[in-house]
Amino acid sequence: MSEASAIASPTVPVLECDRVTRLFRVKRGLFETPVALRAVDDVSFAVHGGEVLAIVGESGCGKTTLARMLLGLLPPSSGSIRFAGRPMEGVGRSEIAARVQPVFQDPYSSLNPRKTLGQIVGLPLAVHRIGTEDERRARIAEIMELVGLPPHLVHAYPNQLSGGQRQRVAIARALAIQPAIVVFDEPTSALDVSVQAQILNLLMELRRTLELTYIFISHDLAVVEHIADRVAVMYLGRLVELGDTGRIFEDPRHPYTETLLRSILTPDPALGLPPGPFDGEFPDPLAPPSGCRFHPRCPKAMEHCGATAPEARTDSSGLVECHLYNGKSHDR
Amino acid sequence: MTSERDTILRVRDLSVDIPVPSGTLHAVRNVDLSAIRGRTLAIVGESGCGKTMTALAVMRLLPGRARLRAREIGLEGTDLRSLSDKAFSAIRGNRMAMIFQDPMTSLNPVYPIGDQLEEIHIRHRGSGRREARERAEYLLARVGIVNPGTRLRQFPHQLSGGLRQRIMIAMALMCDPALIVADEPTTALDVTVQAQVLHLLKDLQAEFDMALILITHDLGIVARIADRIAVMYAGRIVETGSSRQIFAAPTHPYTQGLIDCIPYPGKTERRTALGSIPGIVPSLVGDAPGCMFRNRCAMAEERCRDGGNVERSVEDGHSYRCVHPVERLRGTMVPS
Ligand SMILES: Nc1ncnc2c1ncn2[C@@H]1O[C@H](COP(=O)(O)OP(=O)(O)OP(=O)(O)O)[C@@H](O)[C@H]1O
Ligand SMILES: Nc1ncnc2c1ncn2[C@@H]1O[C@H](COP(=O)(O)OP(=O)(O)OP(=O)(O)O)[C@@H](O)[C@H]1O
Ligand code: SF4
Ligand SMILES: [Mg+2]
Ligand SMILES: [Mg+2]
Repeated sequence: MSEASAIASPTVPVLECDRVTRLFRVKRGLFETPVALRAVDDVSFAVHGGEVLAIVGESGCGKTTLARMLLGLLPPSSGSIRFAGRPMEGVGRSEIAARVQPVFQDPYSSLNPRKTLGQIVGLPLAVHRIGTEDERRARIAEIMELVGLPPHLVHAYPNQLSGGQRQRVAIARALAIQPAIVVFDEPTSALDVSVQAQILNLLMELRRTLELTYIFISHDLAVVEHIADRVAVMYLGRLVELGDTGRIFEDPRHPYTETLLRSILTPDPALGLPPGPFDGEFPDPLAPPSGCRFHPRCPKAMEHCGATAPEARTDSSGLVECHLYNGKSHDR
Repeated sequence: MTSERDTILRVRDLSVDIPVPSGTLHAVRNVDLSAIRGRTLAIVGESGCGKTMTALAVMRLLPGRARLRAREIGLEGTDLRSLSDKAFSAIRGNRMAMIFQDPMTSLNPVYPIGDQLEEIHIRHRGSGRREARERAEYLLARVGIVNPGTRLRQFPHQLSGGLRQRIMIAMALMCDPALIVADEPTTALDVTVQAQVLHLLKDLQAEFDMALILITHDLGIVARIADRIAVMYAGRIVETGSSRQIFAAPTHPYTQGLIDCIPYPGKTERRTALGSIPGIVPSLVGDAPGCMFRNRCAMAEERCRDGGNVERSVEDGHSYRCVHPVERLRGTMVPS
């Protein structure tokens, strides 16, 4: 219990990334020498207890890689992650797992098809040796009720469930051992909108009642706007902007954030399609552009954007990494 | 008013049944629709509601076991039902073409994309290799691909998802079709790439004066590009109208529910519960005479069991299937 309250302490962030970089060695062709791909590049930010922090950005920008590092599933190549103030390396695997739990996108592949729902939800309890058999059974029933799964499904197998029900199982499994933080990686993108709404409502309610912290990866900006407190925008491995949801959506600073927001298609038939954002292709992550990584596609790019990389600036509105904000005065 | 000549495709009373171990699955029931030259019809609805089966029925690409019934499937005045398979394949890819969600379903991984595009032109137009290549290069450039010559020599796996989807669009356009059916063409793409691809479809549609049927589950896309909308639920079109009519005055409880489900930045209040439709879609296996939405519908009554499919009109061009009159569904009439 004392540990839990240390996690919820308002001064110490529950998770903190300090210049985190993750490289992957990849080969372009069968016989070529491997080159380093910077999936996450020099990223620093803190996650505060009780908040919903969304991570957005195009496919391949490093969201899942970052999430796996926050879950302790993948070590950074350099930089450090602190967990409630302690360096992640010093915290045991099972302690991290007891505190930070994942929910992944695909409710079809992330559940073992040969296990019953009760076994799936109960597995983390068994692994962490929590409670007696009877206590675990009671906990499984309780958690199933919490996520809206009817009790009779305890003996059902994943293939007998709908997509929404499977995602509820994944959520139940993550919550079984009462983690403080849940990392969602595209939790609703495989679901229909009516089911997505059910799941989002459930997540918002669980967060309130269980005082959870969420890291919420999504490419659906309308969903992010609805549930996140803060938004982190990634581009080609870089964290290019971070700020409160309201500020990001009303007053985006980074040109890439602006571009992303313009491509949200709200269901308003009076509006046509937004102007085509950019024609260029998504750059090759193995040979990222020089200078600012966004400069080849940036509508506001200046002379020096392709030559020198902008530095991240932090002020009361959050973080932004763009030459438009370098050199200008900002409150700090 | 659209003249007869402008109606490129007219489908009347289309049903698709698929025999499954537990009985007959009614994938599509009594669907009517038409596609107009230069206009976009969007078919929306959630997974499994029959959108793809409707398109495949029109294209004669249904899975082998599926059975099709229709009173009419007319393309530019020809009733497609009466055509032999051979005659049909002279039309598919030529007068009408389909774009799939996953481009890999229509691209052959072992041939360069150039060969695949050219082949279509050669087959349908009897053109030579040279002419076909020119057409392919022109269209690749038209879909925004910078060095078409090089790209045509590449194999599908060497291209990003966004590029492949553009190539699919170019492929569909090879013979200047009158109708394009695009099934979730942007679902697998990033939002920024999605915006590009949708733009492209819209521009090309205007340029070539084509009828477009766009299948999607994304109401945002639908609102922004459709002229007319057909909302499907469990195999049936439950509401149809102009884009404005559907979004300004959604009438069927399912359409209303669907629109309430989606977060709308600036409109839905942040961090509050979204509207939601309880329950899950019913099984499509076996006979179901009444309204298929009744097990999830707040307005359901006993008579929905058998009387749910009467078509009612809201106003000209806007109709829905439900036992209740408009006033009742809009909450302007007290329940009896
Ligand atoms: N195990 C790995 N080996 C090599 N490269 C990898 C590996 N995992 C990820 N990458 C690369 O790292 C980059 C970031 O990938 P990541 O999966 O984190 O992106 P993402 O933002 O989650 O994308 P998506 O939205 O498609 O899920 C990509 O270029 C990807 O190809
Ligand atoms: N080969 C098949 N055999 C049996 N049933 C099938 C087959 N293909 C599709 N179905 C069923 O037919 C119904 C309609 O499927 P269809 O693919 O048209 O849905 P859809 O609206 O396109 O859904 P999605 O949005 O998931 O693509 C579904 O219930 C589906 O399970
Ligand atoms: S640094 Fe330059 S290129 Fe990069 S986003 Fe800012 S203005 Fe655009
Ligand atoms: Mg990912
Ligand atoms: Mg489909």
